[in-house]
Amino acid sequence: MKINVNKIDNLFINYKKSEKTAFIPFISIGDPDIKTSFEIAKVLISNGADMIELGYPFSDPMADGKVIQKSYERALKNRVSMADAFNFIERLREISEIPVIFFTYYNPIFAYNPSKFAEKASAVGIDGVLVVDLPPEESDELKKFTDEENLDQIFLLAPTSDISRIKLVASYAKGFVYYVSVTGVTGARKSLPAEMRSKVNEIKKIKDIPVGIGFGISNPEQVKEIKNYADAIIIGSKIIQFIEDNLNDKKNIIKNIAEFSYSIKSSLM
Amino acid sequence: MKYPDNKGHYGEYGGRYISETLMPAILELEEFYKKIKNNKEFKDEFKGYLKNYAGRPTPLYFASRLSELYSSDIYLKREDLNHTGSHKLNNTLGQALLAVKMGKKRIIAETGAGQHGVATATVCALFGLECEVFMGTKDIERQKQNVLRMEVLGAKVTPVDAGSSTLKDAMNEAIRDWITNVRTTYYMIGTAAGPHPYPEIVRDFQSVIGKEVLKQIDKFPDILIACIGGGSNAIGLFHPFLKYKEVKMYGVEAGGLGLETGKHAASISGGKPGVLHGNKTYLLQDEDGRIKEAHSIAAGLDYPGVGPEHSFFADKKRIIYDTVTDKEAINAFKLLCKLEGIIPAIESSHAVAYLEKIKDEIKGKTIIINLSGRGDKDIDTIANYLSQS
Repeated sequence: MKINVNKIDNLFINYKKSEKTAFIPFISIGDPDIKTSFEIAKVLISNGADMIELGYPFSDPMADGKVIQKSYERALKNRVSMADAFNFIERLREISEIPVIFFTYYNPIFAYNPSKFAEKASAVGIDGVLVVDLPPEESDELKKFTDEENLDQIFLLAPTSDISRIKLVASYAKGFVYYVSVTGVTGARKSLPAEMRSKVNEIKKIKDIPVGIGFGISNPEQVKEIKNYADAIIIGSKIIQFIEDNLNDKKNIIKNIAEFSYSIKSSLM
Repeated sequence: MKYPDNKGHYGEYGGRYISETLMPAILELEEFYKKIKNNKEFKDEFKGYLKNYAGRPTPLYFASRLSELYSSDIYLKREDLNHTGSHKLNNTLGQALLAVKMGKKRIIAETGAGQHGVATATVCALFGLECEVFMGTKDIERQKQNVLRMEVLGAKVTPVDAGSSTLKDAMNEAIRDWITNVRTTYYMIGTAAGPHPYPEIVRDFQSVIGKEVLKQIDKFPDILIACIGGGSNAIGLFHPFLKYKEVKMYGVEAGGLGLETGKHAASISGGKPGVLHGNKTYLLQDEDGRIKEAHSIAAGLDYPGVGPEHSFFADKKRIIYDTVTDKEAINAFKLLCKLEGIIPAIESSHAVAYLEKIKDEIKGKTIIINLSGRGDKDIDTIANYLSQS
């Protein structure tokens, strides 16, 4: 197996040196439409995103709460295909070098063909792939191809993960470990469990790998606390809520997301 | 070779495609089930409930007038006479015993026709467990009676208004609840699908159907027929017969308005392999891998997937999968009412309808049909259908 340092690794190496925590916003490709979602990605990047997680909409998003479910439904109405998603990322690459994480469920990748997927994903400039319903046990079918293309397959850990799961996931993990802050689906929460910190420490004791925290994070106050021990924070539903709330006013979507992104980035400084 | 393998695969199908949050719970269930499944005390307890509570064994009834019509010997395995009116109770009794022994106090389930929901609500009442059943709003509309039954049994029925508002969406919502409450909650899956070990657990508990038939027959059947939604009643009848190579098996999928219309629920006959709800199996999906809405007049078959073991035997051609349409199922429903005085579930009517499709093949043969449920719940659906056509 080749061992290459890619853009995700580089970012975390640099941030570790300067003791910074990365901001990773999540949006769905094609919500509310392809053009606007591209504008949203741009404005997130110009307002502080260090990395971006792009969701490829699936019809049955079982790990997602209402906000992201509706986001996918809107995107699916626009008939976003894998070719559209790759084109989106290709165009994003023309204006930005930040790492891109491709987020989805396994069936769209399986239907497209895992080998062809990994090849194209790498060609258009994707750096990491997160498949939420693909635990290490089932991941080999895709991982053999993502490894070949030097794409990081990102794995998750959760509050329910015991030491044996942490060890298993750590042995598969590349790029960073995505720690799910709550026992639940995606969606903004006012309060987050206190055990996050000890869990992150537990993971880091097993393997010296960056840990990003996502699911539920919604405001700068939470971010200020989490940045003390996490290498990245991931925010999705809270950003997508701005789309849902302003469907008739696309300018307002952009404005709100720009302001929010800036406030998060500021709280990480 | 015995299936599934130790990772829960049936050849290339099955497996555990779920969020990491659920993995510890799934592994705990697998471990627990492995320990208990051959435990004599557990088996005796399960058998006791099947006998004294569910009323098993269910009769294997010789349908003489139907036999005469098709010039063959046709037997009906009367799962409609099982307590709660379908085979579903076999599985929920077994899983409830598991849940109780695992110390779980809250049960969640998904339901389509409401048969599994009723069977779940029933065992929750029996064992004093909290029960929440997720059900699509479209199914709530067409299976009102079962909603009321669940409610009088003390279950909370939570409507799911997303996607096609049917079984698939109810299952999505049940999985979301499970992800959220996994520490306290046992997810009682109603069909032989989902992440490993569910397909195996459901198959094992439903296999009582086929095992009883083996004891009830004087001579070996030539053909077994069962309807397939997720496939739990079919695998329950078929599994104990798989080793007898001379027995032919037909799994009848819901052809809806016809395969060519695209409006059907025939995952094997009209779909391709993919991953949904924790397992790799045949699915109805578009070219981008998004799941398509299924269509069937039978709410219990209205699901775009099928249990992984069926996918496996479809590829191996050990079981033959075919379809009958809504219309053919209705005709069979009427036929069985008139000839035998039995009102079958519209789901089970699909299996009966298959006789007509293979009528030349079955002359002089012995056939066993799994009559998986009773049709009282379907009277409104049938009336609506007949008034519209």
